[in-house]
Amino acid sequence: MNRTADQPEPNPLREGLSARPVPQPCSIVIFGATGDLTHRKLVPALYNLAADGELPPGVVIVGFARRDKSDDDFRREIEESTRKFSRQPVRDEIWNAFAQSIFYHRSEFGDEAGYEQLAKRLDELDKSHGTRGNRLFYLAAGPDQFESILKNLKAAGLNQTCKGSWARIIIEKPFGSDLASARELNRVVRNSFTEDQTYRIDHFLGKETAQNILVLRFANAIFSPLWNTHYIDHVQITAAETLGVGTRAGYYEDAGALRDMVQNHLIQLLCLVAMEPPTDLSADSIRDEKVKVVRSLHRWSRSEIAANVVRGQYTKGAIHGEPVLGYRQEQNVNPDSQTETFVALRLFIDNWRWADVPVYMRVGKRLPKSATEISIHFKKRRRCCSIRICGTSTCSSFEFSPTKESRCEFMPRCPAQVFASSRLKWISITERPSANPARKRTNVLLLDAMSGDATLFARRDEVEEAWAFIDPIEEAWHAKKDAPELYFYPAGSWGPEAADDLLARDGRAWRRL
Amino acid sequence: MPAAAETYSLGAPVEIGKIEQELKKLWQEGEGAMTRASLMNLAVYSEQPGSLNNNTQLMAKITENHACRAIVIEADCRREEDRVDAWISAHCHVSSAGSKQVCSEQISFLLKGGCTTQLPSIVLSNLDSDLPLYLWWQEEFHEPMDPQLWTWVDRVIYDSHGWSDFRSQTRLLELMQKEANQRIVLCDLNWTRLDNLRFALAQFFDHPASHHRLAKISKVRIDFAPGFRSTAILFAGWLGAQLNWHIEEVKSPRELRFTGASARHIDVDLRERDGEPVHEVALTSGDVEFRVTYADCGDLLEISRAQNDEKRIPQLMPAGNNDPVGLISEELIRGGPHRVYLNALNCVRDLL
Repeated sequence: MNRTADQPEPNPLREGLSARPVPQPCSIVIFGATGDLTHRKLVPALYNLAADGELPPGVVIVGFARRDKSDDDFRREIEESTRKFSRQPVRDEIWNAFAQSIFYHRSEFGDEAGYEQLAKRLDELDKSHGTRGNRLFYLAAGPDQFESILKNLKAAGLNQTCKGSWARIIIEKPFGSDLASARELNRVVRNSFTEDQTYRIDHFLGKETAQNILVLRFANAIFSPLWNTHYIDHVQITAAETLGVGTRAGYYEDAGALRDMVQNHLIQLLCLVAMEPPTDLSADSIRDEKVKVVRSLHRWSRSEIAANVVRGQYTKGAIHGEPVLGYRQEQNVNPDSQTETFVALRLFIDNWRWADVPVYMRVGKRLPKSATEISIHFKKRRRCCSIRICGTSTCSSFEFSPTKESRCEFMPRCPAQVFASSRLKWISITERPSANPARKRTNVLLLDAMSGDATLFARRDEVEEAWAFIDPIEEAWHAKKDAPELYFYPAGSWGPEAADDLLARDGRAWRRL
Repeated sequence: MPAAAETYSLGAPVEIGKIEQELKKLWQEGEGAMTRASLMNLAVYSEQPGSLNNNTQLMAKITENHACRAIVIEADCRREEDRVDAWISAHCHVSSAGSKQVCSEQISFLLKGGCTTQLPSIVLSNLDSDLPLYLWWQEEFHEPMDPQLWTWVDRVIYDSHGWSDFRSQTRLLELMQKEANQRIVLCDLNWTRLDNLRFALAQFFDHPASHHRLAKISKVRIDFAPGFRSTAILFAGWLGAQLNWHIEEVKSPRELRFTGASARHIDVDLRERDGEPVHEVALTSGDVEFRVTYADCGDLLEISRAQNDEKRIPQLMPAGNNDPVGLISEELIRGGPHRVYLNALNCVRDLL
């Protein structure tokens, strides 16, 4: 949303053409170039940017991995996966031009000499492809490789560039598995790259709807005065998916839904809903306000956790009419696994704006539909003009998927009744359906990193504060004595009944999605 | 609802005084999940016979992405009798979510006789309340310019490429702006046509290290299609205005000379050839040539730079749509004034 100090001077020919910061030429070095993330997301995202004309001239992609292969082998493999996973069909003429900027560099992650050769190669690409000495390193490898990669990048001098150029690093989640490991990871990163150079990617924040929350809250006078405990009854955040654990069991068994989704995505979304207006639109001003929200999350004592956090695991059931396995029967999952595939939480934010306003979050796998939504439930007016009003409260919602709509629902008078309970839905389609269907969250975030805009990336303190909130829950769950129960729910249901009880106790119910 | 699906028909004829009531009925009789949506009033004015049907087809496509109240007007000003016929219809499209139909309504008018006196009242009495008015004027402007109409228009859309007399038209535009107290935004589709080319060329100079190249541009070549000289000149005007060049000399209809800072000369070569409205642009700065050209497939631009004899590494990017729906859609997603356009126009207005 704003430019950092290393942004270029304005180009006079750009005036009136683009409101976004301009991405700069650079070499994008992907560590873990033969992995799933590179094939399914990163290169398809870069291809889509190229096809949309959003990739600046002078961008090259260098895949860094252990396996032995040539540039052409790598191009062929990556072409195949891009054709499979790209959101827009791959056009030969665009691919052929794009592929000329793709290279492969073979090296072990721990081999110092491999990085020295990489540095030489990048210097050559600067000359041949006009990448201007700018480097964007993308850690798409396993977290266990991070330290080795970062150390070697530093040893080869790749963490620094000459004046006028930049070096940045993008880190994929998980940013640790608890507060201690997150701090350790941050220490390792900080040894090689400054915080300004570090971009912790959270793909949820790249969604247009996430960015619309701030605009809707702060740019509309009908909302800003109401956005507080006086008018808001409660907030619900749901991230539901029909998918099971799939091929991720190796990671998921250790992580679970709380670490996988709540610690990062859901808390980040909550920050956008709950933060105070930033002093300006710079990345740090926005992140300063976000981190205050995380710090203000009420910490439950161990005895309170069972009453406010519900964990569940799916058993066999059906999704879209098709029978599916239970979690414990999935491949590579421990048959006695205690890993949660569902979490529901009742949170409070201890500040003046949100005092006594509960925030209910739920996230789960194998739920009846895939949907991500934040809904703000305004307080009910119980009486008006001496007449009791029945029905539901006014509600604003931000639906991330499937519709990408921001909605405001309000109650009109029902025909032939004095006051009505029917709900009129006013819909704002926030993303034009055909404006740019291929422009997805990863694309936006890659452009932001190339432009030096860190607004949509998590800062060190945000990550650590989120773990500080999560850790006591994990500790309670893993306690040898009196650990809160793991509930089971059939695949295709909306989670265990205990999750409904969490709201029912407060006289509320989950929004039907 | 007679027009539940996408339709190209003018719809149901209605009495002029009952348009709002009939529109209300249209929605009450509708079946299924439909949402009426409107973000603007989009009025289209044409004097071409048959334009009502043509513009209805365009509206069916434009409303896919731009929900509006469409007011489509065909005027036959030579008729002696004064007569107005009206129709109402709806353009419905399935939303991105897949279940709902989002519908825009269209009111169509066939004006006969005293067009200029009828037009303001027709437009003003049928606007969707409190929404901006975009007027797409498909004719050349002519006097009298009725202030009653122009003071209500937020954005006037026109295409200057077909203008027979650029100077008289710009004079009328200025008059219109005066009537509207400068509030009206001028949107020239001839300028919109250049968006992707401008974007492609601008990318070369994003990095600060390339800025010095702008100050060394000595030659510009613009290849344009027959009938699109004004488009090419607007492009030259854009470069001139943004880079502080001033017209020094018109050597011939195809050769212009600008003066830049420190009395540096910039020669512009305008070459007419078959192809896209502006088919290729090349800038020479020192020993580097920056080139943007249409790729063979027609819907992509190929951009490349070459220093001395080094190999070009072309990059492809979308060329955009030069059809009316593409151009109008580009224009409708914008807000704010077209300052860059006005600067470009001012830079080359004596050449147009």
